[in-house]
Formats: sequence, structure tokens, C-alpha cells
Amino acid sequence: MSALIEASDLTKKYGAHVALDHANFSVQAGRIVGLIGPNGAGKTSALRAILGLTAYEGHLCVLGREPFRERTALMDEACFIADVAVLPAWLKVDNAIDFVAGVHPRFRRDRAAALLAKTQITGERRMRELSKGMKTQVHLALTMAIDAKLLVLDEPTLGLDILARRAFYDALVNDYMDETRTILITTHQVEEVENLLTDVLFIDKGRIVLDSSLDDIALRYAAVAVAADKSDAARAERPFYERRMLGKVVLYYENPNLEKLAQFGELHTPSVSDLFVAKLSGGAQ
Amino acid sequence: MNTAVWLVRREFWENRAIWMIPAVIGALLVLAALFGKVDLNMPGQLPIHALAQLFLVAVAATFFAVMSIYATWYLLDCLYADRKDRSVLFWKSLPISDTSTVLSKLGTALIVIPLVYFVIADITTLMMAFIVSVRSGSNLGGVWHLDLWVQLQVLWIYLILVSALWYLPIAGYLLIVSAWAKRAVMLWSIMPPLALLIAERWFLGSHAVAQLLWERLVGWVPLAFHTNPGEGVWMTTIVDNDSIRTPQSLWSFLNLSSFFSSPETWIGAAVGVALIIGAIQLRMRRTEI
Repeated sequence: MSALIEASDLTKKYGAHVALDHANFSVQAGRIVGLIGPNGAGKTSALRAILGLTAYEGHLCVLGREPFRERTALMDEACFIADVAVLPAWLKVDNAIDFVAGVHPRFRRDRAAALLAKTQITGERRMRELSKGMKTQVHLALTMAIDAKLLVLDEPTLGLDILARRAFYDALVNDYMDETRTILITTHQVEEVENLLTDVLFIDKGRIVLDSSLDDIALRYAAVAVAADKSDAARAERPFYERRMLGKVVLYYENPNLEKLAQFGELHTPSVSDLFVAKLSGGAQ
Repeated sequence: MNTAVWLVRREFWENRAIWMIPAVIGALLVLAALFGKVDLNMPGQLPIHALAQLFLVAVAATFFAVMSIYATWYLLDCLYADRKDRSVLFWKSLPISDTSTVLSKLGTALIVIPLVYFVIADITTLMMAFIVSVRSGSNLGGVWHLDLWVQLQVLWIYLILVSALWYLPIAGYLLIVSAWAKRAVMLWSIMPPLALLIAERWFLGSHAVAQLLWERLVGWVPLAFHTNPGEGVWMTTIVDNDSIRTPQSLWSFLNLSSFFSSPETWIGAAVGVALIIGAIQLRMRRTEI
């Protein structure tokens, strides 16, 4: 099966600044992929390129299309929430539904209405009268009512309180996600999404530094917490990153010899956020 | 086609001023007719037909002038506003091409907004004519001339078509500024032509740019209308030993052949199309500010 998103040598420059530097990655159908990177790593540039919002160099194929040239056709099958605050202030909830229903062939009006019926939001309200959390609910209802193959979320919960954030992800996983859909998501709050992701893409300085499923991460990476006195022996196994914690040292290994490492202490699979820190700090050494 | 209708409807949701400004002007004029001084004999025994003509044209001109200013502002703001509030990211998440978006704004400015003003101006003149007739005690025939009114409808349509075609390059230029500027669209729209104009005068001592701009702003009037349509169409009235000439019909002033055969019209339109293509390209590449 061919990939839903296929990027090779994807490059984006803003003047002298290189936001994406020959990035290579692919996203398979039916996955929930986290695109994770520090500020200025090129996350947003990558999403903009995938959504056809910006011109780029290199090869990029999304749902069999070239995004920048075919954005209109692409938006038939892909949708995105760029940020919670982008619904225009003057727009009424009802008008928003009418408009999307009018222009989008895959929009299911009844589904949007059902999703909004669960909230406190009435159709006569304008976006400027709604709280950020409510605006997110409206945007999510509009987006989830579209029968799209690919949903792209760029920092979708920025500025929301913890209740709204939790509600957002719950709705996404329970009411939206199924095997026909694919979600690509970027966020700073890695902890918040890591248990819903199936795959991660780590991006740093415009390059992809890790492209892996979480299952593979469990096979490929291991961390072991070692008492300080045993740390030298453990270091001989060539960890790529280490971190001091409460008198112990946590060492991170790629393609580890598990039997040997088990002698030093308890083995565990690093969490996505730990691995992210380890990978990016390790790369800097 | 359906998308086009939604896009125009969207413009009405966002810009309620499209109909509110002419509605307010219309309401003020109707109020003036209701409570103002009405004396049909006032301007020195002008024939009532000429007076009605003057009145209709004055109302139409008022609406047309306000409409021109509003449409200019609208064009400057339309692509900039949704980049400023980042809602461009929502609009671009829908399967609507940037070409459709830009053309919907252009069509709104050059056709839809003028039509709204036209309809409201019509309603206003009908109400005013009725009120003035009743108040002045004359029967409806006093200020009400069906032939004049029909002529005015044609004049409006003609004005809308001619000015839309003539102002295409200006509209395209305003759209480019609107799609491109990071702030201060008004300033950005004025600065480049002003800078060119001053630079030309400074270094070359000539004023070709100024002339070109002036020509583009008002040049359509002498092309689209006969300044002297011939003697037959005038009506002469003697008032206090002065002879006053008023046109018998507005028809005879329209000069379609000179306007539509003028190279200026079509060169301008071609430049306009090029600028609009440029605005679409900018819209594809520029998202938020």
C-alpha cells in the first residue's frame, strides 16, 4: 500500500533561513502521527507544505496530489484545523455550517448539528461571542462532519484550558478516528497526545531525526535507571543519552542488548517525550 | 457556480456596510423629503421635467460617489482582513480555489456592490418622488416621469458596466496590495504611485505618471458620454432673459461606440487582468501576516 503522505528532499527556504532542509518522511493511512519538534524546527512549514499553503522545493505527494498546485482538489479529501482562533469573529455558527455545507461536497450537515447539539452553543451566536473552548468545539464539529481521509491539526489546543483540551482529544479519538482516517498532529504538549499516537516524526532544524511507529520504538529503544555506582559499566554499552534523576542515572540506548542491560537495573521503554528530549539533546553532543 | 453564490453571500455576512451605508443614505434622503422645504417652483421656473431630471441625477450621483469610495476601501481590505485575523487558514481549509476567492471579491466590488447601491438608490428616488408629489400638492405626474426613470435605470447599468471595465486595473492593483501588505493597506496603496509621481517630477521634470493616473481616474467620462450630443436633444427654456439648456433625454449622452472602441479601455482591461492574476498568485503564497 502506498503512503498517504510521501515527502522526499522537501525543502522550504525563507530568504537565507532554511525551515525545511531536505526532509524525508512518509505517513501511512489509518495512523495517528505526531509531528514533534522544538520551536522553529520546521513543524509549521512542513504542515503548510502538506496543506498546499506554501510553495516548496523537492518532492511532496499528499493523497496522490501535489499540494501547492492542487490545493483545492486536496481540500476535498483533507481538512485541517490550523489553530483554535481562526474562525472569523463576525461569522455566526449557523452561517458557518451553511457555508461549509454549501461549498464542501463531503460535509455531513446532520453530523455537525449532532455534534453541536451536545454543546451549549446556539446557532445565532457569532464567533466573537464565544470562548476559545467553544470556538474549538465549533471548529471541531465543522471539521469532524467532513468525510476526510486526512485531518491535519496544528497546535489545535493552544491556549485552551485542561478541560477543553481533554474534551478535544476525547472527541477526536472516540467520535472521529477510524481505520479509514489518518491524523497528522503537531503540538508542544507531547505528554498530552503521546498515548493516542501510533507514530511519531521528530523534526529538528528542518530535518526528520526520527520516523517510527510507537511499536518500533518499543523494540528499538530502551532506557535503564542505574544506581550511580554502576553507571560506568552501563556507559560501556554506549547509551546515546543520559539523564540524572534522584541519585540515579537514566541511560538511553538504541538497538540495545536487552539481556546485558537488564543486569544494570530495571528496563523500560522511554516515553515519547523522554525519547524526544533524548534524541534531540543526544544529537547535539 | 454554487460556490460563487456562497462566496458572495459570505461577503454580505462579513461586510454589512455593503447595504447599511446606502440604506442610511437613502433613509436620510427620504427624511429630507419628508421634513425638508418643498417648493417645486423655487429654481426660477425650470420646467418640471428638467427639475425631475436634475433631482434623479443628483440622487444617483450621490449614491455613485459614496459607492466608489466604499468599493475602493472594500477592495483594499478584503484579502487583508482575513490574513490579519488569521481566518484565511479557515477559508483555505475548504475546497475553494484562490482564483474563486479573489474573483468573488472582485465581482463583489465591481458588480454586486454597485447593484446594491443601484437598487437602494431606486427605492429612494421612488419614495422621494412620491413624498414630494404629495407634499407639493401636485398629482403624481408632477415630479414623476416614467420615461426619465427608465432612462435612469439604463444609465445606472451602463455606469456599472463601463466603470467596472475601466477600473479593472485599479481594482487589480488594490487587490494586490490587499493580498500582499503586512499592515497599513491604505498607505501601501497610495505610496507607490505617489513615489513614482514625485520621483518623475524630481528627476525628469515631467508628469507622465500623474497624467496617466488622472486619465485612469476620470478618463472614462469623456469616452463613455457625449459632451455635445448635438442640438436636437436640447430643450431650451427662457428664465429671466437667460436661456437655460437642459437635455431632453439622457439616452443621447451615452457613447457606447467611443468607449468600447477606445484602445485605452482595452489596454486598461488587459493590464487589469494581469494585475488580478498577480493578486491570485500572491493569495496562493501569502497566508497570515
